[in-house]
Amino acid sequence: MSALAYRIPADERQPSFSRLTRIELRKMLDTRSGLWASIAVAAISLITVIITAFVKGGQDATLTQLFNNSIQPVAILLPVLGVLLVSSEWSQRTTLTTFTLIPHRGRVLFAKVAAALLLTLAAFAICLVASVLIGELFPAPGGTGALSIVLLAQGLVFLGATMLIGVAFGAAIMVSAPAIVIYLALPTAWDALSSVLAPLKTLSKWLAIGPTLGPLGTRSFSASDWGHAGTTVALWLVLPLIVGVWRFARRDVN
Amino acid sequence: MIEASSLTKRYGERAAVQDVSFTCTPGTVTGFLGPNGAGKSTTLKMLCGLAHPTSGRSTVLGRSYAEIPNPGRHVGVLIDASAAHEGRRGRETLAITAELLGVADTRVDEMLRLVDLDASAARKRVSQYSLGMRQRLGIANALLGDPQLLILDEPANGLDPVGMRWMRGLLRDFAARGGTVLLSSHLLHEVEAIADRVVIIAGGRIVAQGTSTELGAGAGGLEQLFFQLTDAHDRTLEEVSR
Repeated sequence: MSALAYRIPADERQPSFSRLTRIELRKMLDTRSGLWASIAVAAISLITVIITAFVKGGQDATLTQLFNNSIQPVAILLPVLGVLLVSSEWSQRTTLTTFTLIPHRGRVLFAKVAAALLLTLAAFAICLVASVLIGELFPAPGGTGALSIVLLAQGLVFLGATMLIGVAFGAAIMVSAPAIVIYLALPTAWDALSSVLAPLKTLSKWLAIGPTLGPLGTRSFSASDWGHAGTTVALWLVLPLIVGVWRFARRDVN
Repeated sequence: MIEASSLTKRYGERAAVQDVSFTCTPGTVTGFLGPNGAGKSTTLKMLCGLAHPTSGRSTVLGRSYAEIPNPGRHVGVLIDASAAHEGRRGRETLAITAELLGVADTRVDEMLRLVDLDASAARKRVSQYSLGMRQRLGIANALLGDPQLLILDEPANGLDPVGMRWMRGLLRDFAARGGTVLLSSHLLHEVEAIADRVVIIAGGRIVAQGTSTELGAGAGGLEQLFFQLTDAHDRTLEEVSR
């Protein structure tokens, strides 16, 4: 290196977005906690499918039922992965390294969103394969039936939305444990409150995650169903994500 | 080349760093010296975009840090060696940086050899590392992109005397090849042993800067000066608070 002549090449490129996304996936899977959380997601999907095939004489083992049963618990665990994907950088203080290598923090956050969506696809594929496989091996007495494309697509939307809600919570709250606890406890607290306060009950139809998004796996959505799902997503996904983007970009790293 | 001009960082009423200006030139090691809490880390973080200055600006190799497309190829940064993911293996920690920078994976093994972390250490998870090992891993991480400039916050923390001598050799060698080094420390003797230039900070302000020989020229040398300056600052603080 020649000291006086040193120049940053004018044509230097920043690391590509696909490289950043690949690295985010790698970081999710190369630590003990991340790896086990991912294995847990795959395991829970398999276990529920297998249980479904064997309880009640296997009468629930239609493809639709198997698939729905497999995505419901996954939709609870995926957001935990989503939270960790964002918050563990702050908790483990690896942001010190990440942000010195990639000063444009927005790119880091959106690479995390992309990684989260790829993980969602993987989880969706596992649920689908497990349902089809178990449905073939242990068919319901009345036949396994077919799986409608609409329900499949809705299932993917369901998983993607819940995953991104986790990412948004992680970005807004930034500390793993509280973000996970708040994510898991809020719906329960909401249900408890709305059983006491009547006005909340009406609001639930528009804002509670479980009742508005959960049926995505069981019935084909009407326009009003999508309306209810949309307001829920705006409150629990868009709002915390906006807060998260702002905090992620602005916060001093310690 | 690093240039800081009038960097100021306020948290509400309190100024953690005030009007800090200095320059680091190629081929030299600059020691950033000051007691704990004087504003060293905050200043270094502002230099590499981790903290946003309230006012003032800084450039690294002629650009503001955030404008360098792939900064790790030019600037090696180690702000806190303990800030590595506990559950990640040592080698993997470096391999991620290598992938991000776009340098060959073989460079990871070269750097591990350079900082003296053997194959068994490279396989261990960072949670099993001593502070000295983390410091070595952090240095390896900073050097991966074959940078022209190093910014290191308290790099000697946790190193044993042999490790400290090794670090001195490494950084002197880096500067001798034309590189620029800025390292912070609260240990006077460490800075004296390694730095060509010293910038002394106390209470968020630069209180002296110059070559080690210039600053150490007075009676009692650099040590005397350092205590005078930092004590004087503490006394002013006491008077103000009264």
